[in-house]
This record gives sequence, structure tokens and C-alpha cells, in this order.
Amino acid sequence: MASESSGRTFQEYLEHHLQNLVYGPLPAGHERKFYSKGEDEATKETYCQDKGLSYDGESYCKETLTEDGWHLANNKTDIEAMGFWAFHIDTLFFSVLLGSIFLFIFSRAAQNFSIDKPTKLQLFVEMMIDFINGVVKGTFKAAQNTLIAPMALTIFFWVLLMNVMDLVPVDLIPYPAEALGIPYLKVVPTTDLNLTAALALSVFILYLFYSVKAKGFVGFIKSISLHPFGPWMLPANLFIEIIDLIAKPLSLALRLYGNLYAGEMIFLLIAGMVSINLTSFTGLGLNLAGITLSLVWAIFHILIVVLQAFIFMMLTVVYMNMAHEKFEQH
Amino acid sequence: MNLNATLLGQMIAFGLFVWFCWKFVWPPLLAAMDERAEKIEQGLKDSEESANKILDAEEQSKKMLAEAKKEAKKIMDNAKNQSEKIVDESKNKATEEKERIVGSAQSEIEKEVVNAKKTLEKDFASSVMSAVKKIVAKEVSESSHQNTVDKSLDDFRK
Repeated sequence: MASESSGRTFQEYLEHHLQNLVYGPLPAGHERKFYSKGEDEATKETYCQDKGLSYDGESYCKETLTEDGWHLANNKTDIEAMGFWAFHIDTLFFSVLLGSIFLFIFSRAAQNFSIDKPTKLQLFVEMMIDFINGVVKGTFKAAQNTLIAPMALTIFFWVLLMNVMDLVPVDLIPYPAEALGIPYLKVVPTTDLNLTAALALSVFILYLFYSVKAKGFVGFIKSISLHPFGPWMLPANLFIEIIDLIAKPLSLALRLYGNLYAGEMIFLLIAGMVSINLTSFTGLGLNLAGITLSLVWAIFHILIVVLQAFIFMMLTVVYMNMAHEKFEQH
Repeated sequence: MNLNATLLGQMIAFGLFVWFCWKFVWPPLLAAMDERAEKIEQGLKDSEESANKILDAEEQSKKMLAEAKKEAKKIMDNAKNQSEKIVDESKNKATEEKERIVGSAQSEIEKEVVNAKKTLEKDFASSVMSAVKKIVAKEVSESSHQNTVDKSLDDFRK
């Protein structure tokens, strides 16, 4: 019932849920707007005036900033005014929290490792290490690199935990947060392109680094210019190989983002069905359908959540393997 | 959905997480797991070895048992022989002893008989003499004499 109780239309509800909590710099002279509370125009106006703000006549209080400063964005105009140097507080918070949980669990298991009397947690951790180790050993054969397996483990678990946040009911955390005065909250970090792009870009930087390290700078240039048609077709080679190169981080980032964003969107749409009032017969039917659908989608989404984490990890290992391969003239 | 500085923050976070996992999580876990694998392997090897040892010991004990049985049989046979020998010997000794005892008894008896005869002869003579004396002391009549002699002879017979 989130959209109705907070006085929003369904579209506003969707937009609200798909917006990150942004913290960034706003310039002096920027006009900020706050949603005013009250039954009629008069109470809304007094609400604004109590806070020392003017009322714009359309349910919003206005505030014109007198100096540059960092603020939480309240709406789209704020966000646009912030530009590049803004941070998605929610994405950063939840991703770092989940990553820390992952590292905490695993380092605890490492600290309390017992060879003769393993705890259940330790057995789980061992199973995961074994699983990742198997995948990495099966795929990464080009060279010896101790970084690949721990990186694969980190990617798999971190992404998995972040994806799992998608199974938390869509209003469970944002709704109380809003009551506490947090204007926006997106709890699934992997539905933020910034995060998936950051992971993909990091992997891509490592890809370039190891490519140059394994092939030499000249070898790397050769590998993208003399391939696949031979030296006489150098421009075509460059064109194809550069697209191929750029496609790697792009596909990594967009695959994870797209899957999770779409999944979240479907949860939101289903939640919209549930938020229709219960008094009418069709309303009741829609509610029941919504509850059933969200259960079905959640069960199906468990698969996507694990699969996407696995694919991201797997592709990272594959790319790392490609990076470590020596350049061979075909 | 626009890209902003969050991207940089996330890249730093990712780098830190991977670095931490690389330095502090993965190596100790893997080392411990390798150690466990080694230990299990060693344990299996040890148990196989000890199973072999048990088999060996069983064989050894069987051999020893068979030997002991043989020995025991030999000892029993010996003992039987010995005992038979002893029994035979003692039988022979007993027979000899018996013969000796019987022989000595016989000679004693013979001696006794001779003695008895001697005594008898002496007694007989004295009884005859006493009878004669009685007869002589009574009167000497043929019939009465005869009677007396008969009586004496009867006494003697008795």
C-alpha cells in the first residue's frame, strides 16, 4: 500500500523506487524543493513557513541556496544540478556492507579453521572455496596467477549477496527509511549501473594490465591490429578488435545491471498490483494475484540471482585467461 | 540512471575487497584445506599399512599355532611312549617281585612243614610214651592194652 499511503500515483511510486539516494554538491542559487505536508493549501503553506521556506502553490516548499554545499538530492532537478561528482549513498552503503559481511564470514572461517573438527560455517566456506577453485582451475590455464581465484570468489559472493537484496520485499527497507526522512533508497546495489560498471571497469583494467604484461606492449598492439585478417587489413582488424575489447566491460556491466534492474522492476510492478485498495472485488482479486505473482517471481528470481553472480565471475575468469595468453600469429 | 562518482567509489571498494580476500582470506583457507587433504591422504595410507600389518600378524599367528599343535602332538606321543614303557617296566618288576615273594613264601612254608613234622614226631613219641606209661601203670592185659592203644591212637588222630 506504499504508493497510496505516501500520496503518490503509481508512476511516482515506480520512479521513487528506481531512484538512488544521491549526495552531491549543489551550487549557490540552486532552487531546492521539498514536498509539503498538509490537508489543504493553507496548512501546506504554514508547514513551509514554519521551516522558514516559501511555498510554491503546488504542494512544494522552495529554498534557494545561498552558497555552494553538499546536499542529499530531493528530486530530479537536484540530481541534474549535481553533475558527475555525486555519490549514490545507498549503493555505496549496501555494497560495502554486504562486501564486509562476505569478508567477515570468510576471514572468520579462516581464523577459526580446524582441521579435525570443522564447524558448519567452515564446511560451507570450504565448499565455496573448492567450488571457485574448481572453476578457476578448469578455466584459467594460461598462466599462474594467485589473484584470479580470490578475485573470482570475491566477485561471486559480493555480487550474489547484492543480488539477493532483490529478494527483500521492495518496500520493506525504503518505506521505514522514508519515514525516518531519507528521501530515496535503493537497496539492491546491482540495480545501479554505477556499481556494475565499476566492477566491469576494474576487471577491464586488470584485463588490459595482464594483456600488456603477458604479451608486452608491442605484442598487445599486434594482437589488436594484426588480427584476424593479417597485416594488410590493419584498419579493419583494429576496428573489429577494439569493438571486441570494449564489448567486454560493456557486456559485463550491462548484463548484470539489466537482469537485476528488470527483476526489480517486475517486483515493483507486482507490488503496484498489491497496493490497490481492498474494498472492491476486483481490488481483492488483484491483491491475491499480486501476492501469488510476487511469490512465483521471487522463486524464479532466486535462479537469476545466483546465475548472474556466477556468469559475472565466470566471464571475469575467462577474460583473465584471455589476457594471460601469449600472442600467436595465426 | 546516470553515471557519477559512485563509479569511482565502487571501484575503490572493489579493489579493497579483492585485495583483502587475496591477502587475508584465500591463502590461509587454501593452505588449511591442503593440509587437511594431506592429512587425510596420510591417514588413508597409514590405515592401509596397518591393515596389511594385521594380515601379516594373522598369518604369523596361524603359522605359530600350527607349529604349536605339531609340538604338542609330539610331546603327547612322547609321553604316551614313556608311560607305556614305564607301565611295562613296572609290570615286569611286579612279576619279578611276586615270583620272589612267592618263592620265599614257599621255602618258608617248607621250612615250617619240616619243623611241624619234627615237633609232631616229638609230640607223637611223647604221647606214645605217656600212653605206654599209662598202660604199663594200669595192668597189662591184652584186651585192655589193645583198648588203651586204640584209644591213644584215636586221640592222636584227633
